[in-house]
Amino acid sequence: MKRIVVVSQDPLLTTLADRLLSPHFRTLVLGGMVSAVDSIYNDIPDLVIAEIAPGDGGMGESINTLKEDPMFNQLPILAVIGDRPPAAFWEGLLVEDYLLKADLERDLLARVRLALSRAERVVEINPLTRLPGNISINRQLEDRLSRGEVFAFAYADLDFFKPFNDKYGFSRGDEVIKVTGRLILNFVKSMQPRGSFVGHIGGDDFVFIMDAGLIEGACGEIIRAFDQIIPTLYDQEDRDKGGVESVSRQGVAGFFPFIGISIGVTDTAGRGFSHFGELTGAASEMKHFAKKAKGSSYSMDRRTGQAT
Amino acid sequence: MERIDIRTQRAKLENINALPTAPGTFKRISQVIGKPGITLSEISEFVSKDPALTTKVLKMINSAIYGFPGRISSVSHAIMLLGLNVVKGLLLGISVFEIMQQLMGGLWDHSVGCAAVARAIAEKKGIKDPEEVSVAGLLHDIGKVIMVMEYAPLYEEAINQAASRRVPIFDAEREVFQETHAVVGMWLAEKWRFPPNLVDVIQYHHRPGLTKKAPLETAIVHFSDLLVRARGFGFSGDSLVPAVHPPSFELLALSEDDILEVLDKLEACRDEEGGLTL
Ligand SMILES: [Fe+2]
Ligand SMILES: [Fe+2]
Repeated sequence: MKRIVVVSQDPLLTTLADRLLSPHFRTLVLGGMVSAVDSIYNDIPDLVIAEIAPGDGGMGESINTLKEDPMFNQLPILAVIGDRPPAAFWEGLLVEDYLLKADLERDLLARVRLALSRAERVVEINPLTRLPGNISINRQLEDRLSRGEVFAFAYADLDFFKPFNDKYGFSRGDEVIKVTGRLILNFVKSMQPRGSFVGHIGGDDFVFIMDAGLIEGACGEIIRAFDQIIPTLYDQEDRDKGGVESVSRQGVAGFFPFIGISIGVTDTAGRGFSHFGELTGAASEMKHFAKKAKGSSYSMDRRTGQAT
Repeated sequence: MERIDIRTQRAKLENINALPTAPGTFKRISQVIGKPGITLSEISEFVSKDPALTTKVLKMINSAIYGFPGRISSVSHAIMLLGLNVVKGLLLGISVFEIMQQLMGGLWDHSVGCAAVARAIAEKKGIKDPEEVSVAGLLHDIGKVIMVMEYAPLYEEAINQAASRRVPIFDAEREVFQETHAVVGMWLAEKWRFPPNLVDVIQYHHRPGLTKKAPLETAIVHFSDLLVRARGFGFSGDSLVPAVHPPSFELLALSEDDILEVLDKLEACRDEEGGLTL
């Protein structure tokens, strides 16, 4: 049975919603967004219905905070409002749909069913990290380039990932990918909450976009956190040894150190990139420089001039 | 005297989602969260001094949602993986303990003291991640918090028994509940998918000879528990200092100077502790 969380302080609304929904769904009624967030963190529901009272900026803010995290980004939110608000009201508010209080009795069940079925349709996100994939990444780059925006673009991938995967199996390898995605996301978003972007190309390849002045700091933080956490994902014995006995990508057996992360960065300031392919090419070239270094590292493209 | 068999209550207790925190911590939450430009390490520092907040953060990162079940046992790692917004949301959802505040406050001090001592010993022993041991020290007695939360009058009875008959609290617990806080703590730690080493320390901190997975960590927390009690730091249900488990003490191989240095860390913690719990 699908689970729905209803957040409102209006007893009329909650009683009505409960009466209409509980025959079909597991319905949980909560009085405020703080307890709702707590409950959602505990167990993600399939849909949230939230009343946004006029002038209640806190509710909108809580919803946005929740939805900014990729784990909850796919959670549909149906807003219930008293009166039809001005168009500007919806700007920047991360909800999927709305319903007027006056129409609840008539429309609620149908709207809920539609919202649930919409959410089931596949969205282009990586199932492991829940980060956007190639289509969104390319669109981000194209849009920014065509607007002539100045930004820095980073391309990251892992070293010695395959020996880890071979030794411990796929599901342990997936944990490494999830750790990587979370760390990149959290440091990029905490250092630049607005206008930044994190995408997951697939496998162990990630990209991110930030302001040129902030990206070097973010790379440093990501690497530091990565190198702290990764060893804890090894078995104690291998953690003590500093790596695993396994087989490399080239099929060579040997001892492989802890997984590292290599990041290549390029920016659009000094160079005229006309197409996003040139940009990703330059970043991936930088990444290969970074890969040559021992352990985790990043490498910045300091060249200027037209890319070839 | 009233008794229950707490083993029959396991399923009910496993539904507990969170521990309440101390009033002092609770008051500081909004201040910490609201601080402009607060860093992840500042939040880690705050969270890692409170058993309830630490439990909440570790439970979230080890839950199915993030997909690291039983993997993450360090608060700072958990916070870097969850991110600022999620951690803020978690902290806002915390409640405060309203019953038996004095007992809970004593237990909080006991736990915080144990965390400080366990970390100091772990550092002495050159353990790679002393923070993991510190977390185990902080959470070793969560079983008691659960028992007090759910069965306040009975737990009071156990404390009185321990005092009047001069027996350790876990013996009194066994009388009244048929099982000890170590086992109750293990039920929840397993349910919350805490890493296996942490579960082992919680389960065996009074019988360190029985752990298979984490002999060194369990020995450290066992001995820290004892030192903190001996110093009269906080209150953990009785006023006895139980005998040390000799093989654990041998395993730790601490010199007298080592122990004195470790105790200094506890004193430092007492000084900065003022008013954190109540
Ligand atoms: Fe204990
Ligand atoms: Fe204890």
